[in-house]
Amino acid sequence: MTTKTTRRTRRTRTTSIGDGRALDHAARREASEREPVHRPWLGALLAAGVAVAMGVAVAGISREHASLPQIARYALEVALPRWKLTEPVNEVVYGTRGFDTFGETFLLLAAVISVVVITRPRERRRGYFGEETAGAREQAQTDPAEGRDDAEQSARLAERREQDDRASGGEEPQETPDTTPLGTSAPETAETMTVVVRTAIRIALPILAVTGLYLVAWGYSPGGGFPGGAVLLGVVLLAYAGYGRRKISAVVRPSLIETIELAGAAAIIMTELLGLLLKGSFSANWLPLAAAQTPLSGGIAQLFSGSELIEVGTGLTIAVFALLGMSHDWARDKNGGEDER
Amino acid sequence: MILVNYLAAAALLCTGLYVLLTRRNLIKIVMGLSLMEASTYLFMVSLAYRAASTAPVLLGPPAGRTARQLAHGNVADPVLQNFCLTAIVIGVAVTAVFLSVAVRIAQHYRTLDADRVRAMRG
Repeated sequence: MTTKTTRRTRRTRTTSIGDGRALDHAARREASEREPVHRPWLGALLAAGVAVAMGVAVAGISREHASLPQIARYALEVALPRWKLTEPVNEVVYGTRGFDTFGETFLLLAAVISVVVITRPRERRRGYFGEETAGAREQAQTDPAEGRDDAEQSARLAERREQDDRASGGEEPQETPDTTPLGTSAPETAETMTVVVRTAIRIALPILAVTGLYLVAWGYSPGGGFPGGAVLLGVVLLAYAGYGRRKISAVVRPSLIETIELAGAAAIIMTELLGLLLKGSFSANWLPLAAAQTPLSGGIAQLFSGSELIEVGTGLTIAVFALLGMSHDWARDKNGGEDER
Repeated sequence: MILVNYLAAAALLCTGLYVLLTRRNLIKIVMGLSLMEASTYLFMVSLAYRAASTAPVLLGPPAGRTARQLAHGNVADPVLQNFCLTAIVIGVAVTAVFLSVAVRIAQHYRTLDADRVRAMRG
């Protein structure tokens, strides 16, 4: 990324020598331009009112010398004897307030599903509904003679090149930017970053992945599903940034990670329900406890946390890649400007 | 002194609220919401703090104290730390939903200015 930025800066600098005055003028205009705001005085008044109310409220609440609330003391007391967990926060997440975590998991799932629904592309759906196949048969029946004209052909080709994992025909995008001399003014077509960034990622990636899994399996005590899942997303994003979409498309594809995500959700439901069936209460521990500070010490806490790792890691990955894939479906520009992607 | 943290959290919340109420750029509105989220994290972690306390980890307690004593005594509140952990994940997911809606609005209306998105004004 650093190389790209430097290159872009240099490019700007060379251009600014050429027609410096115009650029300078544009920059000054942009700097002096006032950002449109919406009723700033009313907003300031309301925010100030809330600030006063909050100030009064926080002045009266308990401070650092207050004793711990009942539920916190309960969690601290049962963490070691009942769960063999040396970390009460884990006991709270997966034990005492397990039901809350259970609900939160499905709030996350609902948010991920909303993102998937909102970002769903209008074009090829990779066979979700089979519209292309169905439409092709109908078109062959009603109008078999109709061919594709040039514009449609090229549009479809470009579309497929962007959507498919393997580029088909046309100008092949460059694999890496390593051969491009520095200071080249064309936009970069390479998918991967330079050899410097790729080497750094190759070293950092396994370390990061192992750290994330270590957080889940061990730490002070097992049960780091949430941070572990976030680290997993970091691993995927690093690979994406360094090596481009095609290199990770074998793993990061909707059909695979959506299945894994729902498998994680199913595992969480099963973990919690078995507590109800075997021990008589939802999210009760039904697994044997190992000694404290070993990977299996928390009973179901470890199972819950591992499922949470899958759920959070894949859920956030789905959300991020759904957002990154939202390049299409622009409405036609009424002002007749260039139809930008 | 933890009152300063509470007040900082309140100030952060009001900054976020001000951004939310006055900005017209949808991305900035989402940023304002993220500020408000961040203020709740700060508030909950500050609420969990206890004077001269240790982290709620029952492993290797400070000299002269056992894990059992630790469970009864001076540690940070683990329940509020759990709340914070939960809130962060939900915050990320909700921000993703907001951003995807913002991108869809930009694609549909060709603007990010909330005042120019007029379809819901009748």
